[in-house]
Amino acid sequence: MATVTPALWRRWGPWALGLVGALAALGLQTQLYTGQVRTVATIFMFVALALSWNLIGGYTGYASFGQVVFFGLGGYFAAVTMTHLHWSFWVALPLAGLAAAAYAVVIGIPLLRLRGHYFAIATLGVAEGTREVVINLDGLTGGGGGITVPTVGAAAATKYLGNDGFYLVYLALAVLALLITGLVSRSKFGFAMRAIHQDEDAAAAVGINTTRTKVLTFALSGLLTGLVGATYAFQQVTIYPERLFDVEITVLMVVMVVIGGSGTVLGPIIGAVALQFLSEWLRQNYTTVHTLLLGIIIIIAVILLPQGLVNYLREARRNGDYSLLANVRRYRL
Amino acid sequence: MKTSRILATATIAAVSVALTGCGSKGEAGGDAGASSGTLTIGASISLTGKTAREGVLTQEGYQLCQEKVNAKGGVKVGDKMLKLDIKYQDDTSKPDTAASLVDQFNDQGIKLILGSYGSANTEAQAAVIERNNQVMVDSSGADNNIFAKGYKRTFGVLSPATEYAASIVKAVAELASPKPTSVVVLSADDGFSKRAADGAAKAAKDLGFTVLETQYFPNGATDVSASLNKVKASNPDVIIGSVHLAEGVAIIKQAKELGVVPKVFGETVAPPTPDFVTTLGKDAEGVLGSSQWTKSAAGSDDYFGTAKQYDADIQAKFKHEAGYHNAEASAACLAFVLAIQKAGSTDANKVRDALAALDAPSFFAQLKFDAVGMNSTKPMSVIQIQGGKQVTVWPKASAEAALIWPGTTK
Amino acid sequence: MTGFLQATVYGLLQGGLLALVAVGFSLVWGVMNVVNLSHGAFVVLGAYVGWQLNTSLGLDPFLGMVIVALVLFCIGYAVQRFLINLVVNGPIFITLLLTFGLELLLVQGMNIVFTANYQSIPTSYAGNAIVLGGIQVPLGRLLAFLLAVGITVLLVKVMANTRIGMSIMATGMDRGAARLMGIRARHVYALTFGIATALAGMAGTMVGTVGTFNPAAAGGFTLLSFVIAVLGGLGNMYGAMVGGLLMGLVQAWGGYYLSGTWVNALAFLVLVIVLMFRPSGLVGKAFYAARVEV
Repeated sequence: MATVTPALWRRWGPWALGLVGALAALGLQTQLYTGQVRTVATIFMFVALALSWNLIGGYTGYASFGQVVFFGLGGYFAAVTMTHLHWSFWVALPLAGLAAAAYAVVIGIPLLRLRGHYFAIATLGVAEGTREVVINLDGLTGGGGGITVPTVGAAAATKYLGNDGFYLVYLALAVLALLITGLVSRSKFGFAMRAIHQDEDAAAAVGINTTRTKVLTFALSGLLTGLVGATYAFQQVTIYPERLFDVEITVLMVVMVVIGGSGTVLGPIIGAVALQFLSEWLRQNYTTVHTLLLGIIIIIAVILLPQGLVNYLREARRNGDYSLLANVRRYRL
Repeated sequence: MKTSRILATATIAAVSVALTGCGSKGEAGGDAGASSGTLTIGASISLTGKTAREGVLTQEGYQLCQEKVNAKGGVKVGDKMLKLDIKYQDDTSKPDTAASLVDQFNDQGIKLILGSYGSANTEAQAAVIERNNQVMVDSSGADNNIFAKGYKRTFGVLSPATEYAASIVKAVAELASPKPTSVVVLSADDGFSKRAADGAAKAAKDLGFTVLETQYFPNGATDVSASLNKVKASNPDVIIGSVHLAEGVAIIKQAKELGVVPKVFGETVAPPTPDFVTTLGKDAEGVLGSSQWTKSAAGSDDYFGTAKQYDADIQAKFKHEAGYHNAEASAACLAFVLAIQKAGSTDANKVRDALAALDAPSFFAQLKFDAVGMNSTKPMSVIQIQGGKQVTVWPKASAEAALIWPGTTK
Repeated sequence: MTGFLQATVYGLLQGGLLALVAVGFSLVWGVMNVVNLSHGAFVVLGAYVGWQLNTSLGLDPFLGMVIVALVLFCIGYAVQRFLINLVVNGPIFITLLLTFGLELLLVQGMNIVFTANYQSIPTSYAGNAIVLGGIQVPLGRLLAFLLAVGITVLLVKVMANTRIGMSIMATGMDRGAARLMGIRARHVYALTFGIATALAGMAGTMVGTVGTFNPAAAGGFTLLSFVIAVLGGLGNMYGAMVGGLLMGLVQAWGGYYLSGTWVNALAFLVLVIVLMFRPSGLVGKAFYAARVEV
């Protein structure tokens, strides 16, 4: 094996690791029972979601509390076009992502002028409002009764992909989100995003077109979330507005990103895998008290690792101090 | 140097996993534990989340069934007696989790599944059941939609959603004197409630009532005042609530506050739930409710006896009156047990065929499924809250008391 | 016309109650920059404490509310002092995450202790109504409304005129300076959170008296508080009142004139529009606008 210099490693190492991870995921698939495949596919789904939230929330610092709106919109776009227009899933999927991205631009232009929690609450309002519109357009969306994507017979343009198929699609989406995050985080664009997070006025002062950067990031984040939503809709067959626009999904994205380390490439992945794995494991083994245990674990994790795992490791390595106690002292009053 | 070694090791590990893994995948054991003397049935239950209350009532029904069946020695399969063992998993009241649980049971070789609570969860499960060649008996998903998709492996022991509110309209038309003239339906906006609301409006039109425009509010709403305020001016004789517990209680409470006084309130789902009377107290008096089952239901079986005995057993074990949520769960479990004994096998396909051909009396109702898997011959009952108790008033054949008319007084 | 007036009256009463649900949430966010996702769980907890006092001691909920407030204050004080204070200097997401964990813990804890059964606190009078010129004014809601307004006014007076209130406000505006003035921030923060949970608990008892509740209702209350707090303006005590009343009226009027459930879409549209044109809320501004974000 050729010698790997630190510079070479810094440039290509993460990509190699990503490739290894993706290969390992493919290998893992062959080892699992079909139901486990589905459970792991859900983990990939959350990895993709956490990464896409991380773009707008972690890097740019705009906490989108209504991120689920893109998930729901992507899902309903796919379900409605596949049901009423008999589109193939492979046509509906990219267009659903684009529709979500377009929606992000439309709401982003006015809302991204707002800062901090005002942006958060405004996006939340948009998400809740959009859900109500979907419920009331019941001719098109089936309203509260849900809509069922045809998966059998002549009406089905695309055959149901099965647990193995969706595993691959979610994995591909997670890899796509990772690629985009990796590319963006190393580019000039990523620098602009971080600058906006640090100090938006200063960023504008050094010539960064902050509006363009923010809207583009929001669109990118919406695109990825919309793609995941469309896949989810097909996977579930029947979807309901209550679940597709569930605030809990947004909250989970945020929680995963923050636990893993926001504004990093690896953080959201680690957060998503850890939290989803943990909650699933707890649910299977502690049927009645699992959410209680999950709550306690989250509280402990926040107190011990408030900056998220990846950021903690990064700082600890820099300072040569791995003590968690110093960490506890850090944000204490 | 160090990093390169790690990288190399990791790559080799990943690739070897990818290569060696081929062909080792499959489905674990297929006999659901028959060889070990137990019969395992999987049940996904809403123990936490939005419908945790109804989920617990469903679980009670399954638990009583297991106890009764095992008290008789278990399930007779061929010449063996298998102990019934129902495995519970919490689906947190979410359809995607409920569906995923069915897949997980399939991994463990569990092909026989008892349904979760509610139509959304059941519908999500039914799709997976079909793909995995499992069999499900649905205890509480009444939305007709579930059975309109051509699924062959889901059987519902209960009457469909369209009958829920319609039965109240029919009861009022038949029993009330002087006969009321106008009906309005207030409905939650989920699929099940809307289907029931449409059924009621249609039945009312057919029976010659003046039917006002149906009013909707969000599923789970605790404030329905706007809808009530809207219908107040037209002063309808009968207000039908196509609802769940929370909205059902809100209608009665807020109607009193707003001075909306029809001749009677009738609601789906809520009145037969024990919480209806405990939360409303005397305001619950006179309210009509549609019920999948009542204590005066005809019919009996070897495990639970009659409906009266069933109620006594629930009271002894869980310290509350038996509600239909309990009964439909027990009945679903019973249908499985009877079908397995008839099939003489725990094989999913044979059990499916036995279920399709099942025609057996029980404490719940005749257990018999039509071509799409609904128990369509089963009648709904209508109860009225009288003296803090649920009393069956319709159909007349199994009525325990006469309808008190008007039901609401002011 | 009667219908419209009835909708208006009912909407106002409902709005007053919503305001009390949200005011604590707004206080905590405004003073400490903490988005308390467990707020709704404290509302429900208050309802359960009130319910327990009523079932085991027969205490009227409007009297029991005093005890509810005391109990919830102690719990809230302890939670802030020993838990949230550990991370309160961190970015807003950290405290958000902590309270998310707390919410899971509280809701499931209540699920285990009180079961998921729906409950309501019974009174002989709350469901009755006074009729004023054809308009029904329900007694329980009227009482709750008056209390909510009274408590809000009292809170404003306390904040403006007492030493404790001024320390809370001062700490909210500039903690560093407040510390230099000898204000013990740890204690003041715990007090603030305790007051907020006490208010949430009282609101919960009232909600439990005029309606029903079970642990699963917690999330809905948090969401509602979120919306009302921002609508009115953060940290401003009257802000929550204005936000709550507006919310109540929009729902009542929208519900009266619109079909289906379009009213809910309308409510959120109003929120987004308010934010776009007056990001600091309807009555925001005051000195909170000058607050330094950390």
